[in-house]
Amino acid sequence: MDESKENDSPQLRPGLWATVNERYPGSMITKSDFIPLAKLKKPLSESRLTFVSTAGVQPKGSLPFDTVHPVGDYTFRRVPADSKPEDLEIHQLKYPTVGADKDLNVIFPIERLQELAKEKIIGELAPNFFSFIGYNMNPEMLEEKLAEDIAEAVKVEGSDIALLAPA
Amino acid sequence: MMGHHFGVPFHTELQRRIILEALDFLMAAERSGEVKMLPLKWAQARREAIEIKRKLKLRKD
Repeated sequence: MDESKENDSPQLRPGLWATVNERYPGSMITKSDFIPLAKLKKPLSESRLTFVSTAGVQPKGSLPFDTVHPVGDYTFRRVPADSKPEDLEIHQLKYPTVGADKDLNVIFPIERLQELAKEKIIGELAPNFFSFIGYNMNPEMLEEKLAEDIAEAVKVEGSDIALLAPA
Repeated sequence: MMGHHFGVPFHTELQRRIILEALDFLMAAERSGEVKMLPLKWAQARREAIEIKRKLKLRKD
């Protein structure tokens, strides 16, 4: 991104992308502009929401993420939105799970979202949430494969809102 | 705080508030890349978590 443009942006830390690219040459962000904001087209109370997370949360018994591959794991897991925390486990090494091991909702707030849908503050939850691991060192694979795969899966399930959260 | 983006364990009110703030901002934001800072402090959340654990009898002191 043009530095002068970036400094006009409302980003939390202008100049961050340039610093990242300098320290990790060729491995990180190359986008030159923002994606236009997609405004919500209906009230929240009528919208279907999904949750997308880099927390490496997955249903017990599903294929564990490859947490030790040198360039990352570019697959995702579907997490049924009606799951209970005890049905899920975390396969991820790159963030502290001390809090999540006690209460998964600190990083994957599935129970809070279920409550908001039950109260009709959110219209409904999509059938599945989506999870992958955040350690992915190939930006092209991340953007052109993993992100596209998840976007397609979200679209198929008809979500109006995708709440994204890093871990 | 890394690994605790929705607050601290068992603090359901804080977890809920963070989600609702994000959803409110989804409707209020005017352009891509905007950031909303919440008036939340990690130290305060930790203190509240200690009290919650005491009430839930998950902490002995």
